[in-house]
Amino acid sequence: MSDAALAAFIAPRTTVARGMRRWVRDYSSMLIWHLVSLRMWLVTLTVVQILSGVGFVLGIALFFTNIPTRAALFVSTGVPVINLLMVGFILGPQLVADQRSSGTYEYLRSVPVSRSVTAAAWYTVCLIGGVPAMIVSLVVAQLRYGLPLDVSPMIVPAVLMTSLAGTMLGYAIAHAIPSPMATRLITQLGVFVIFGFAPILFPLAQMPGWLGDVNWWFPFRHMAVVIRAALTSVPDSTVTQGYVVLAIWVIASAAAAGWALGHRR
Amino acid sequence: MSSIASVARSRAAATRRGELRSGLTYWLQSLAAMMRFDFGRMRQWLGMMIVIQTMMGAGMVIMYGFFYPHVTAARALYIATGSPTLALIPLGLVMLPGDINQQRMEGTFEYVWSLPAPRSAQAISTFLLYTLLALPGTALALLVATWRYGAQLSISPVLIPAALLCSLVAITVGYGLALAIRNPLVMNLISNALVFVVLLFSPIVFPASQLPAWLYDIHRVLPFYNMAVVMRAGLTSGIETQVGTSFIVLAAWTIAGCAMTAWVIGRRH
Repeated sequence: MSDAALAAFIAPRTTVARGMRRWVRDYSSMLIWHLVSLRMWLVTLTVVQILSGVGFVLGIALFFTNIPTRAALFVSTGVPVINLLMVGFILGPQLVADQRSSGTYEYLRSVPVSRSVTAAAWYTVCLIGGVPAMIVSLVVAQLRYGLPLDVSPMIVPAVLMTSLAGTMLGYAIAHAIPSPMATRLITQLGVFVIFGFAPILFPLAQMPGWLGDVNWWFPFRHMAVVIRAALTSVPDSTVTQGYVVLAIWVIASAAAAGWALGHRR
Repeated sequence: MSSIASVARSRAAATRRGELRSGLTYWLQSLAAMMRFDFGRMRQWLGMMIVIQTMMGAGMVIMYGFFYPHVTAARALYIATGSPTLALIPLGLVMLPGDINQQRMEGTFEYVWSLPAPRSAQAISTFLLYTLLALPGTALALLVATWRYGAQLSISPVLIPAALLCSLVAITVGYGLALAIRNPLVMNLISNALVFVVLLFSPIVFPASQLPAWLYDIHRVLPFYNMAVVMRAGLTSGIETQVGTSFIVLAAWTIAGCAMTAWVIGRRH
């Protein structure tokens, strides 16, 4: 028997779908799978996201006797970044850590879809979990403080890029770090970093110079820059630089996650 | 008299042989054993606890400063004296309920209740352990605050009962809540909401006069503002004058937390 005949004998009798159509089909089934399995979680999450976003926008006024417009503007345009980061960067890795503890992780890895499909479906879930809260926070901020907001079409790439960078970074943390406890620790630290140690909710000038410099190497500062530039008309010369740094982070994180998911154990 | 002494001696001997499971000696032995058990179980979470404590105390001290364009001396004093309170809260209200949740899911919770140690010893072991764990973060927060803002503190003896009572309030209320609310998801939501209320909407690192009147009225009954008041009274002189009321409110919360704990652990199910 020739090799080809032998292969035909062993291989399952079906045509192997490849290419774009297969990718789209897998993507939609993975997306449905995520949305269905996380339906309760996503509903709770959206409510919590909206409450915490609105809470932050309103609560910051209590810190001041009379809140300056500049402080209100920074908080209100920074909260959307946090809303976008919350699912992909904080909760996603914790979800994966729980999956590792419970064994679902191994099962998910055995599903016959490509890594890019899995990542793309997860990215969509992160957008679904972030964008509604972001819009509500902005509307509440506008009603409460009457801010000089000026939303430009650049908001679309800014939101997509910010969420992508956060999601991919979270993806790398979740998949490249094998210990669930280490993942939980890093994301817990991440919460404090995005709220207080990265210039997202307040101007860069209000933190020590060296800490601002350290932040230049991380994506969070640049996320705030691109989102704020798209929401206000305040000129900022570092927007292009921000997109470049974010793109580098996306590529590096995707590579790390892809490498971790790609090799056998 | 001699008969009392001989009864005590024979009881002690019976306790040593493991026959008698009551009395103070047995209770103390149980407490020591439970503390060893709890500490051993908690070791895996130690890294997490250190991170949360350091960030909630020392980290928040630094962070709050970033939100202000100018940190005036009065603001600095409020942040510095509020930070130890912030460091005391999360362990009792977040980590402890989280730990109990985890125990419920793993089945450890039922196992511990089945042990032949008095449940009061089990509960007090948890209280003691969490109090011990809370204190280093508090001290660190205070050190960082004095270093970062150069705050002029005048520490008075009130600080000791204040710190102990604050830690006790957080732990007893957290424990009572975690025991009374059985659904882990609900409990998780409550403790996260509490953190949010504490960090943003409680006058701990800023004066209560900045709150709307209705919110201030709510806070006079809740423990967080009162914790900040008694801690600030122990760290400064002249800012807080109405300390008595705060101590009473905190004592009432501690009693309520203990009563809730006692009610739950006293029942069979």
